[in-house]
Amino acid sequence: MRGSAPAEQRAERIERIGDHAARPLLMRPALALLPLLALLFALLVWPFAHLAVQSLLPTGGILGAAGGRRGFSLANYAQIVGDPLYRGETVHSLVLSFAVAAASIVLCLAPAWVMARREFLGKRLLRALLTLPMSFSGIIVGFLAVIMLGRIGFLPRMLERLTGRDLLAGAAYQLTGLVIAYVYFEIPRATLSLESSLRNFDFQLLAASATLGAGRWQRLRYVLLPGLWPALLSTFAITFCVSMGSFGVALILSRRFSLLPLEIYQQLTGFLDTGLAAAMGVVLVAVSFTVNYGLRALAERRTGSDA
Amino acid sequence: MSRNRTPFARGLEALALCLALPLGAQERVVIQYDCIPNYANWGGITALYRKATGVRVPPDMKGSSAAMAALEAEKANPQADVAYYSGAIGYQAAEKGLHEPYKPKGWEKIPPALKDPNGRWFTVHTGHIAILVNTAALEGRPVPRSFADLLKPAYKGMVVYDNPTIQGTGFTFVYGINAVLGGGADQNAGFAYLKSLDANVLNYARENSYNDVLRGEIPIWINADGNGLKMKWVDRAPVEVVIPAEGTITMPLVMALVRGAPHRAEATRYLDWLLGEDAQGAMAESFFLPVMKVKLSPDLEKKFLPAGVYRKSLVLPLDEMASKADSTKQRWLKEIARSR
Repeated sequence: MRGSAPAEQRAERIERIGDHAARPLLMRPALALLPLLALLFALLVWPFAHLAVQSLLPTGGILGAAGGRRGFSLANYAQIVGDPLYRGETVHSLVLSFAVAAASIVLCLAPAWVMARREFLGKRLLRALLTLPMSFSGIIVGFLAVIMLGRIGFLPRMLERLTGRDLLAGAAYQLTGLVIAYVYFEIPRATLSLESSLRNFDFQLLAASATLGAGRWQRLRYVLLPGLWPALLSTFAITFCVSMGSFGVALILSRRFSLLPLEIYQQLTGFLDTGLAAAMGVVLVAVSFTVNYGLRALAERRTGSDA
Repeated sequence: MSRNRTPFARGLEALALCLALPLGAQERVVIQYDCIPNYANWGGITALYRKATGVRVPPDMKGSSAAMAALEAEKANPQADVAYYSGAIGYQAAEKGLHEPYKPKGWEKIPPALKDPNGRWFTVHTGHIAILVNTAALEGRPVPRSFADLLKPAYKGMVVYDNPTIQGTGFTFVYGINAVLGGGADQNAGFAYLKSLDANVLNYARENSYNDVLRGEIPIWINADGNGLKMKWVDRAPVEVVIPAEGTITMPLVMALVRGAPHRAEATRYLDWLLGEDAQGAMAESFFLPVMKVKLSPDLEKKFLPAGVYRKSLVLPLDEMASKADSTKQRWLKEIARSR
């Protein structure tokens, strides 16, 4: 064993050389990040700053509700909080995204589990199928919902033939259709995110706890859930945020149930109230960011700081 | 080095060349806001223009109001060359200074009521608000003959009209129904009707519904008569176009040159062409009444609705309509779209 000491030292030296001198300048991680940072600045930070400034200008749109007032104010935000309409839409967006994120996790956990744990014929095909909805834009998913769940959609027609009753006809334009369509396009994200986390889960822990005498409930409560919790939280965070911002599906389907992204579109196209639309955008981003950041922080605390 | 290229690399190179070709050729374009292929057959009209001149006018799905909002947002850096609107919205956009005055060839032949004296907008064709009915999708129910008929419970979940905050045709209907029903300046009669109609409405469409009506997903669409006649005669769909018994609204559809148009020279040539014989004839074949006198073949003339049905069609003053556009849209949002 004594012979190993110089070898260790050598390895350490090689590592150190590798870390600094031997790598070409551009390979340094910090430098390699630069293009991405520049891109993020140009496409995220700068536009967001612009949006934030806009949101403080009470333009009042073409109705001139601001009465030609100038200068910065929080009037747009006051309007979002004060007007029951806009407040309602914010709540709708939150509730819908929450429901969709929860439903996606419940629905996708089983397939993700199977794909992470088992090898079977056609697995690749199944995964490709499950990820397919990701490549559709919201508007296409909206039209799909109309074809499947519209007034003469495929499902209502089939149910009518089977039961003789008018079931689900026009569901696409109701809240039901909105939730189904949203869950549909969240399936790929939820499945992929859950599957990759499940792959990293050490299933031997379950076997070990069983050997140590843990019962089914104990294994679930003290081993599996704490192990999977971060994955569930981060999957929830990403599906929630995507639903908050999604727009195309609601553009096609929503009849009366309005959402924040739709209202932004309405304010811009119908009334050109850029200030109010910008403030709504800031609210949207702030909610998404807070939920995303909060849940991830929570997930990391659960796994320890290195997760 | 080139000898070492794999077939794959060669394929890639060929593909890159193909993609680069149109770029190198400097394709000529005119950007038209509100160029919905299934509205007034813009798909067919622009294809005809491309065939005649090689200039492409790509489709654009913005409705009138969305087009106006986009022009206003892009005022400092215009992206569009020309825009197409329902009359009142075009008038409103002109008032906002979004258009450059331009009188295309043949402008003087347009009736004075259908153009701005300074050329800030001009009519290309007119349509009427009508009830477009897919009779097969009614499944035995009688074809509605009037706006009053549309309130019958039998049509629950079957009626669609366009969201008036986005589509000009939807706005023309929402604004005009009041006058058709004999309402006063407060528009209360119109809004009372829209409120009752709400019980039968399937959706306030933000996008064009032409294909959904053809499929029968939407049995009843309140839209321009010409679009329904095209469904009937060109697409051979079981569609009937009903001019309601109470009367209807005549809707001039107008165009304008955008102030600061990036392809101004191409744009003016395109506008000239649109008032010319070929384009106006093609518009007639799409069942919108051309603004210029065009000789229709007897065969085509038969396919239009008889002139008598339009007897009670109202021509509403665009200036008043434009000045009330925003408050009408707001009221519609408040009282109809979000009434629950």
